[in-house]
Amino acid sequence: MSNKREREKRREQRLQEETKVDAGDRRMRLLQFGAGAVFLAIVAVVVLIVVNGGSDSGGDAQNLKEVSAVDSLVSSAPQNRLILGKPEAKVELIEFGDLQCPVCKGYSEEVLPQVIENKVDTGEAKISFKNFTIIGEQSTPAGAAAIAAGEQGRGWNYLELFYRNQGEENSGYADDEFLTAVAKSSGVKDIAKWNQERTSKKLVGEVEGTTEQAQTYGFSGTPSFAIKGPNTNGVELLGSNLQTPEEFEQAIDSAG
Amino acid sequence: MNAMNFPTEARLRRIIAFVAALGIGVATYITIADSGGGAPTCLAGGGGCETVANSSYSHIAGVNVAVFGILGYVLLLASAFLANDLARFGGFAVALGGFGFSVYLTYLEIFKIEAICQWCVASAVLMTILFLLNATRLIGYAGTTTVAVPEKG
Repeated sequence: MSNKREREKRREQRLQEETKVDAGDRRMRLLQFGAGAVFLAIVAVVVLIVVNGGSDSGGDAQNLKEVSAVDSLVSSAPQNRLILGKPEAKVELIEFGDLQCPVCKGYSEEVLPQVIENKVDTGEAKISFKNFTIIGEQSTPAGAAAIAAGEQGRGWNYLELFYRNQGEENSGYADDEFLTAVAKSSGVKDIAKWNQERTSKKLVGEVEGTTEQAQTYGFSGTPSFAIKGPNTNGVELLGSNLQTPEEFEQAIDSAG
Repeated sequence: MNAMNFPTEARLRRIIAFVAALGIGVATYITIADSGGGAPTCLAGGGGCETVANSSYSHIAGVNVAVFGILGYVLLLASAFLANDLARFGGFAVALGGFGFSVYLTYLEIFKIEAICQWCVASAVLMTILFLLNATRLIGYAGTTTVAVPEKG
């Protein structure tokens, strides 16, 4: 009888110990899985950063950035070719720029968004972009590509997206692949038509014409600005004197 | 196990539930503010939230990243209600994924978008706390059971 009880007791002890061992095993396994998961997570984050990272020198047709930011910047105002703003706006601010020019990129990102929001979206002014190609060979095809996008109502999307993804000055990034990627991401619907127009004599001639016009005005660098309004005597040349959004807004107020 | 004031599992679970609930609030706000083309309002101003919300990194396959945040926080909240190894390891795995994702998003904010959204920072901080809590919970209580076995008397 007592033997039976002892046997039962030993059995129970053995079971308890086995349960303890099981729990210990499970714990070890879970902790090993946990350590493995930490390792995998570190690898995943590093891979993501390496894939998305590297030196961000722009000009990457495969990885255009800021598409939605550009969309929201220019979507509040109507567009006609490379003119952004209501046609009946009293004041016209004219920018002579080169798509390859880093200073123009700076203006496009730091200065013009506020002017667009405060003066163009409100209908007080419109901004007209004219190509003044001074940087290099690829500036003219890039400018014509922007006008061709403008023919489909996406000119300012093209300009702004180009600037936000601009590559190293004159490094050869602005090739057909890059121009086409910008066109597609700008929302140009008919790429075949855009392709035909951007290489047409008419549009290339237009780029050369506005470049000559800028030289006639005596401009020597990009971007250079001019303004036209009820209070100006024809086209008033601003050159490259204005630096801040507030100065541009003031110029628009004075011209209107 | 409770030497050196190691927190009890019940306590850890309560804190995890509380922090996960805060996370759901933050991620839900970002999602609602972003829907319809808007952006969360940065309390300190500066426009960083708008820049981040409008960047191409704010959506994955058309879905706002904050939606993934809501999902993660809900799973973490659910894991806090259970006291078994599945909940311990599941909570740890989700928090680890969330923490890794937050590290990546913070990297994007600083080096790619070059703007900081304080709501995203708040979420990243909450996710970091949840990761630490869930790691503590896993290390401290993996393989244990809270179901008391009645002693034979």
